[in-house]
Amino acid sequence: MNQAESILSLRDVEKTFAGHCAVDGVSLDVARGEVVAVIGPSGSGKSTMLRCINLLEVPDRGTITVDGTDLDTSGTVSARDLTQLRRRVGMVFQSFNLFPHMTVLRNISLPQERVLGRSRDEADRRSMELLERVGLQQKADAYPAKCSGGQQQRVAIARALALDPEIMLFDEPTSALDPELGLEVLAVMRQLADTGMTMIVVTHEIHFAATVADRLIVMADGRILEQGPPQQVLDDPQHARTRTFLSAIKDR
Amino acid sequence: MDVLPIIVAAIPVTLGVTAASFAIGAVLGLALVAGRRSRWTVVRGLSRSVVEVLRGIPPIVLLFIIFFGIGSGALRMEPFQAAVIGLGLVSAAHLSEVYRGSLLAVPKGQFEAADALGLSRSTTSARVIAPQAFRVAMPGMVTWAISLLKDSALVSTIGVAEIMSVTNQHARSSGDGLMPFILAAAVYIAIGTPLAIWSRWLEKRFARIRKAA
Ligand SMILES: Nc1ncnc2c1ncn2[C@@H]1O[C@H](COP(=O)(O)OP(=O)(O)OP(=O)(O)O)[C@@H](O)[C@H]1O
Ligand SMILES: [Mg+2]
Repeated sequence: MNQAESILSLRDVEKTFAGHCAVDGVSLDVARGEVVAVIGPSGSGKSTMLRCINLLEVPDRGTITVDGTDLDTSGTVSARDLTQLRRRVGMVFQSFNLFPHMTVLRNISLPQERVLGRSRDEADRRSMELLERVGLQQKADAYPAKCSGGQQQRVAIARALALDPEIMLFDEPTSALDPELGLEVLAVMRQLADTGMTMIVVTHEIHFAATVADRLIVMADGRILEQGPPQQVLDDPQHARTRTFLSAIKDR
Repeated sequence: MDVLPIIVAAIPVTLGVTAASFAIGAVLGLALVAGRRSRWTVVRGLSRSVVEVLRGIPPIVLLFIIFFGIGSGALRMEPFQAAVIGLGLVSAAHLSEVYRGSLLAVPKGQFEAADALGLSRSTTSARVIAPQAFRVAMPGMVTWAISLLKDSALVSTIGVAEIMSVTNQHARSSGDGLMPFILAAAVYIAIGTPLAIWSRWLEKRFARIRKAA
């Protein structure tokens, strides 16, 4: 893949916590519109890598390039660069993290008003559009506590999308959900992938990875162990560790 | 029983000292907790020392330092001013601890979500974190207001004419040592009880919200 068409590049990104290397020199190029699924055992650095992309964790070393803008993370990152980066990269968490004291609509509209400077009307209109897209327009005036986990996660996706990101990061978006609620979230993500959104999805949902992702990455010990088209990696893993890991999750 | 109207007439002074010290403490407490969460080590250390010093001094000693020490020197101070400054500082230290605890109760994911959305530090504090922390802090704040109401009796020692002061004066001049103080106690309870009920109600409501979330 050539540099020009990649919307996101990581170069030798490294993050150490108290002497333990959580991400150990990861390089990665993601093309515009590509859907990348990331799997790997617990503690292999999947979340940390994802969080390095939007600088929720500031890497110790390495470069992050989003749509042509380089960020060298070994120096201090300016507030302006940080804002620019976060405008372009949306994130969805395992635990939804909706603001509990705001209605669903306010959750989605407030960031638009504050980050993009949209008026309240404009923001609300966009929020309703997105709520419709995730099938929750009837929940606009409800508080998060009155929504199921699956509904909360769909609202969280709408909240991130409302800022018109170019890349969406998902950190185990269905792991906190009962399987049937997870399905409604996965359906929304599948739809999003169909619209051409660039997505990086850390997940244990092998079926989703196999059917939606363009590429599957297997991580271990803070590194990318192997990667390739999902079917190929799943059917013919090159590493013994991948085989062990895959059989472990398939048995669940 | 002719002392009762005298005590009742002093209620506004007691309430004034309590409310003014509480207001000062509520605002200064915010500054202290902001200092304790600052990204600069020096500011953190300084704020922490201020809190510890203020909490380490018995309030009556602090009142005497301010009124007889500072107040008799360069800065002339009315007893009421000195009282409000002294109890205000004590409140600031205490309320900053209440705030700090309530901030720790806001899940880390809330800060992260705000960061990931690109909200500024001030928007995050004002619109996301403070409203959630405030709900947690409310019962502790009301509890402190009740303590402060009672502790305001201390300022009779520097000559503020609040409930305790006028009661004491009456007791001395009338020679009745028991009844005036019992009446004063009843008045404190009468003012404090609604606050206590409110605090318990808030606490219950908070527990319910936490369960629902
Ligand atoms: N904030 C932190 N402080 C200290 N160590 C951390 C921190 N975050 C992650 N780690 C460590 O870094 C390593 C990688 O963690 P990470 O959360 O990225 O793994 P993961 O692949 O997402 O695992 P899981 O599947 O359990 O979510 C782990 O050893 C973890 O203990
Ligand atoms: Mg993780």
